[in-house]
Amino acid sequence: MDLILVNIIDGLVTGLLLFMLSAGLTLIFSMMGVLNFAHASFYMLGAYFAYQISMYLGFWMGLLIAPPLVGLIGAAVERYGLRRVHQYGHVPELIFTFGLALLIEEVVQFFWGRDQMPYQIPEALQFVAFSISSYDIPAYKVFMIFLSLIIFGGLLYVLTRTRVGMIIQAALSYPRTVEALGHNVPLVFMGVFGVGTALAGVAGVIAGPVLSTFPGMAIVLGSIVFVTIVIGGLGSLGGALIAALIIGWLTTFAKTYNVRMEDILTTIGFTKPEPIGDSGWQDLWTLTSPQIADILPYLLMVLILVFRPHGLFGKRDA
Amino acid sequence: MTMHASNLTAPALDIVGLRKSFGKAEIIRGIDLEVYKGERHAIIGPNGAGKSTLFNLITARFAPTTGSISLHGQNLAGMAPYQINRLGLSRSFQITNIFPKMTVFENVRCALLWSKGYKYSFWNIVSRSQDLTEGADAVLEQINLAGRRNLPAGVLSYAEQRALEIGVTIAGGADVIMLDEPTAGMSHSETDYIVDLIRKVTENKTLVMVEHDMGVVFGLADRISVLVYGEIIATGAPEEVRGNPKVQEAYLGAALEADH
Amino acid sequence: MTDTTTHSAKGLTMGQLAPWVIATAFLVAMPWIFASNSAITIMNQMAITIIFALSYNMLLGQGGMLSFGHAVYMGAGGFMCMHVMNMVQDQGLPLPLPLLPVFGGLFGLGLATIVGSFSTRNAGTVFAMISLGVGELIAASSVIVVSFFGGEEGISGDRTYGLPVFGVEFLRQIEVYYLIAFWLVLSTLLMFLFSRTPIGRMANAVRDNPERAEFLGYSARWVRFYSFCASGFFAGIAGALFAINYEIVTEENLNLGLSGAILLITFLGGIGVFFGPIIGAIVFTLLQTVLSLQTELWQLYVGALFLATVMFFPSGLAGVLMMHVPAIKMGKWRYLVLPYVKTLIPAIFGILGVSAMVEMMFHARHAPTGDEEMGLFWMTVDSTSPLPWLVAAIISVVCFWVTRRNAPELVAAWHMANTPDGGSA
Repeated sequence: MDLILVNIIDGLVTGLLLFMLSAGLTLIFSMMGVLNFAHASFYMLGAYFAYQISMYLGFWMGLLIAPPLVGLIGAAVERYGLRRVHQYGHVPELIFTFGLALLIEEVVQFFWGRDQMPYQIPEALQFVAFSISSYDIPAYKVFMIFLSLIIFGGLLYVLTRTRVGMIIQAALSYPRTVEALGHNVPLVFMGVFGVGTALAGVAGVIAGPVLSTFPGMAIVLGSIVFVTIVIGGLGSLGGALIAALIIGWLTTFAKTYNVRMEDILTTIGFTKPEPIGDSGWQDLWTLTSPQIADILPYLLMVLILVFRPHGLFGKRDA
Repeated sequence: MTMHASNLTAPALDIVGLRKSFGKAEIIRGIDLEVYKGERHAIIGPNGAGKSTLFNLITARFAPTTGSISLHGQNLAGMAPYQINRLGLSRSFQITNIFPKMTVFENVRCALLWSKGYKYSFWNIVSRSQDLTEGADAVLEQINLAGRRNLPAGVLSYAEQRALEIGVTIAGGADVIMLDEPTAGMSHSETDYIVDLIRKVTENKTLVMVEHDMGVVFGLADRISVLVYGEIIATGAPEEVRGNPKVQEAYLGAALEADH
Repeated sequence: MTDTTTHSAKGLTMGQLAPWVIATAFLVAMPWIFASNSAITIMNQMAITIIFALSYNMLLGQGGMLSFGHAVYMGAGGFMCMHVMNMVQDQGLPLPLPLLPVFGGLFGLGLATIVGSFSTRNAGTVFAMISLGVGELIAASSVIVVSFFGGEEGISGDRTYGLPVFGVEFLRQIEVYYLIAFWLVLSTLLMFLFSRTPIGRMANAVRDNPERAEFLGYSARWVRFYSFCASGFFAGIAGALFAINYEIVTEENLNLGLSGAILLITFLGGIGVFFGPIIGAIVFTLLQTVLSLQTELWQLYVGALFLATVMFFPSGLAGVLMMHVPAIKMGKWRYLVLPYVKTLIPAIFGILGVSAMVEMMFHARHAPTGDEEMGLFWMTVDSTSPLPWLVAAIISVVCFWVTRRNAPELVAAWHMANTPDGGSA
């Protein structure tokens, strides 16, 4: 029971982190029809920038300065790169963001090298917040949860209560009409791209110390973020949230509870061949859930796309 | 012009009790229509009458809410566009819908592939198939585009692209041809040219064409159906339809509304 | 101009055959020109990449399907070929090595049939995402399903254990080269012919306008499916050749990294022209093997080149070449030579100047302290002293300024060369 609670908290942290990335990605996709392959690269930039700033000014200044910096770079990419490629169609756009992801990884390696950076949790948060029987919950996890919730609150407020939010909401569903109404849609696009990438930057700043800051971090998370918004349904913020949480919990539980294929197969009536080393089915019999935890999201995505191409909550075709 | 009212075989196209709603709005409100084999049938009506919706229902772009559509006695419910096409119905599009990167010749050749029996073949080389080359060139002659044979279709003039659209539609040898506003956006002389072309290429075929302008179809159609607000208010020979008071009212009413 | 097209139905013309004859002769002659072992290794790698890239372009260029998991089919073919190779060795089957790629191809085809049955229903983003998901799944299972993929070490074999074919034992690189070259010509020819078949033509039609294609009697889904299967077949052949050449296949042969690389290679070469991926594969392999010896930063340059291609030349290198065909046909290419020299040469030096600064910055940042000397363009410079920085900066600024100044001249020349009968030039 206690372990379940701990897992729920861990899964929540992962899920919220995923949502912080997928929220920006979904906003960008809904408005511009671009699946930004480089989204996780901005998350990586967030972590590296914050690390660099934290060396001189401490963690908190990093948290404050790095995301806007990432957002500025994002906006510049939209203005000078994506807008140009837009005229060629969606496939070149996707290819462009793919190339951008490659290039950002190379640039990060150029400046910081291939090794992991010693980016640390701030000392102020290096204590145990509370314990569930013998499991300690570090304060930093609580901090991550609260920060994510505050950001989502702010995002929700902007989207539903402000004029800019209204325009964005309208542009999500009727981009042409909004343009016809005289709003500067290119500017809104650039803004949304900037804010979306800045959100990814925030995720990078707070995830960098726990998930480690290294040049491969974008690739590790990048395709999972994609998977999240596809499962949730492209263009659906609520869907992205639910999918992010499902993936967070699914992978956390699969890693903690060692469900073995052997047990499942025995339960449904198969007998284990002995010795197992000679059997062609050895790999199947020795399969365990922690082994496949990281590929479960992909499995889920493929299944969902086959049976429900719109994703869980999507309205338009992916 | 011959009348086919006495035709005893099954109609080429038989529409019974057709309705279509989008949300709460009912766009097609109960249509019954028989198109006889070999006739040229025009469906006309003012803007917003539901012509394009009816057209798209017949060609399976939309699924009907209720009612049935049969082609040569075969119900089309649940069929994909390619299946309907294989039963002998071919359509054009209101917005020119050709393959712009391919040459004019290739556009027509693509339209010939299925009917010439090539299907999903990966063992025939198209340029070495005499029947394809000759067939495509014959169609190009028919639509007077032989001189443009090797140009990319995307660089043709608007009227030429419309002609190619018709060529692509008829090339497969379908016996029921459906044209969606084939003269939309054309000048008077271009319209006359395209109407002559349509007359020529639909010889001995069944033609269903949707048109906004009554004048265009007058010399072409054997029968005309008038669609107003999702219902057919009159069907008959052009003279009959023109004299029909309900039709005059509908067109006049629409014209008055447009004035104000 | 119409001659070739109208008479082609009757027989092959010289114009159609010539490129194939020349290319084959070229392939046969290459090992005499570049006889060193390392050159042959590079050429083998190139040939395998060409087949793989051409098979990828059957999807992206000809069918309009953007795949992020095409390496899966190549890898699968490679693993299968390796297993067959080992079986031949263990059981002494009379199966000569040159035939093994068929098994790789068939296995790639089989896998593509399974995946394609659900992934080709849609093109566009859904297809791209399914390809990504399936790619990740299969790459991940390669570490789990040890009996087939061999876990982290992969599967290795020995190509020389089979029976000699006409006395050839495939001990030497050159013998493998000719085996690969044979399959290269055969696969390329088959893929070219495929693009000329009814299904190949309709793949283009479905790519441009799936709705129209459906009203011509073709199911867009089935057209995509057949292209997908054919593409899987040729990717499998490429994988089998890889297995024969390197005698080891690992997870790296089917992971996302390779899938991304082949997208990059194909796009760089140009997806709109049949021979585009060939150029892409040659250029990329040269960059990979030659540039990587010169600089640690080669991937940075390749990434920048790729991004620039997407932004400024979306039709790729082949597209840029094809742009010159009208001018050459009209015999007006001469107008372009001088403006090209006047813009491209300073541009190249400008780029070299910038890359010199990039290299110096990299060295200054990462070299151990005290190690200030670095090799740069066959010189030795001190990356911490201002002089080389100043020189590089001045060269780049001046060269780019010259390029910019001469650019309008090139534009004008371009217009002139592409205007038919443009006055009295």
